[in-house]
Amino acid sequence: MTGLGDLLNDVVEEIDAVLLFTEDSETFKRFDADEINTVVVGTSNAVDAEQFVSLPLQFEEIDGRIRFGIEGALDQELIEETDEVVCLTSSFSSAIDSIIRVEADQFTQTGLYDLFVNSRADADVVRDVFEVAIELGKKGQKGKPVGALFVVGDAGKVMNKSRPLSYNPFEKSHVHVGDPIVNVMLKEFSRLDGAFVISDGGKIVSAYRYLEPGAEGVDIPKGLGARHMAAGAITKDTNATAIVLSESDGMVRAFKAGELVFELDPEEY
Amino acid sequence: MQIDWPTLIRSLFSEEAALTAAVVLLLTGVLLSYLTWRWTHTLFRRTGINEAVEGTTFERTVARFGTSTSGIIATLLAIFVYVLTAITAFNVARLLNFELFWAQVTRNLPGLFIAVLAVIVGLIAGDKSEIIIQERLRSVKLPEVSLIGATAKYSIYYIAALIALAQLGVATTALLVLLAAYAFGLVFLSGIAFKQFLTAGAAGVYLLLVEPYTIGDEVRIDDKRGIVQEIDMFVTRIEADGEEYIIPNQQVFRSGIIRIRG
Repeated sequence: MTGLGDLLNDVVEEIDAVLLFTEDSETFKRFDADEINTVVVGTSNAVDAEQFVSLPLQFEEIDGRIRFGIEGALDQELIEETDEVVCLTSSFSSAIDSIIRVEADQFTQTGLYDLFVNSRADADVVRDVFEVAIELGKKGQKGKPVGALFVVGDAGKVMNKSRPLSYNPFEKSHVHVGDPIVNVMLKEFSRLDGAFVISDGGKIVSAYRYLEPGAEGVDIPKGLGARHMAAGAITKDTNATAIVLSESDGMVRAFKAGELVFELDPEEY
Repeated sequence: MQIDWPTLIRSLFSEEAALTAAVVLLLTGVLLSYLTWRWTHTLFRRTGINEAVEGTTFERTVARFGTSTSGIIATLLAIFVYVLTAITAFNVARLLNFELFWAQVTRNLPGLFIAVLAVIVGLIAGDKSEIIIQERLRSVKLPEVSLIGATAKYSIYYIAALIALAQLGVATTALLVLLAAYAFGLVFLSGIAFKQFLTAGAAGVYLLLVEPYTIGDEVRIDDKRGIVQEIDMFVTRIEADGEEYIIPNQQVFRSGIIRIRG
């Protein structure tokens, strides 16, 4: 057993910070007394930690979870780029069962954290839209894959740079993303083409919008279709964030300031 | 009722039969109170009151004595039912001569029972309201907000105590006056404090229902011109170049809206 103990000691030796992926206060308390710089990462701050990074999604994959945690901690300046960090997280059970040592600057920044926290729209709204897109990608409409385009934030400007394709089903309604009934509505309305426009506070302003931004200088990867191009262009023209569910490959992609910042496979969540 | 029963029974039965009837009544009382006890337990479980009272100070204190809120109230109800039947039985058998005393007891018993119940319910409701308010305000990191919860808790305690005392026949007029003054002060002060909110909210209801302008319209309110970004109950957000105006809804109403078309 000494061999194993030594190995574990080597892994946690001379680290600068601990990223604790937990919502269990018992686990947290064991670290609180220690001198080490502890950052708690979780979907909610259940342990009332002072240093906390909020996860917007339940990352099933350890890789995404740790990347997001480190990006968030770096962004809030809880850790520094030169730091050696040990991540304590759970891979198979709900309790902590994995110890992973990483260097804080090991990953290239994906911009995912930035997308959630520094968007014009509330982080909760961005998260809810992501969840809708992911669910739509998983199930599709009546089993068939669907595509959808959500433009989140800066709704006034987006509305001015777009025109209606049809009667707006959300006129004079006050539904917000995250309301229980909304997923079904969005799923139904995604059958018709056009973009959903969602305000900073999460109100669904319109469906069936045809976006008419200036598309000069928008650089998105080759092979993506008109929907992605429209998403990239509208985010260049306004301060909005666009979240696209691709009909052809089923991926969820996010655009900001005319660039693709993030893509994920709905099947992994 | 209680006076009629014995005479009725005595006119129907002999002395021995009356005694038997009293014993039967006593046994029925035991059964009835047991049924009440069981029924209360089931009711508490089914209606989710057990979960609702969890975590309150009262529940925790009671738990230390090895019982629960539902246990206490069930026992209380059972005792109430049993005492009532026992008194009737004694009356039937005419075992007691001091009928006047018992008549008084029967008359006061429900009041006593309700007083105890009011105290228990008041304690639980007060605790629970404080817990709920504190949960709601947890995101507000300000030590003073705990005052709101405490105020709600003690207000409920006070009202419960008042009900209990009134049931027992204690003169509560002075306390009632105090309560009225307190309630008036609360309503009056919050009326002053929330006046702006109320007017903004009333205007906001109209704006949301009728939607004279919607997100994306270009409007001018006073000399503030821009694109509407968000409308909620209390404020309208209008964005111009690099400037975002957050305008209370009553101001939108007072100065009127100019929609700019074209």
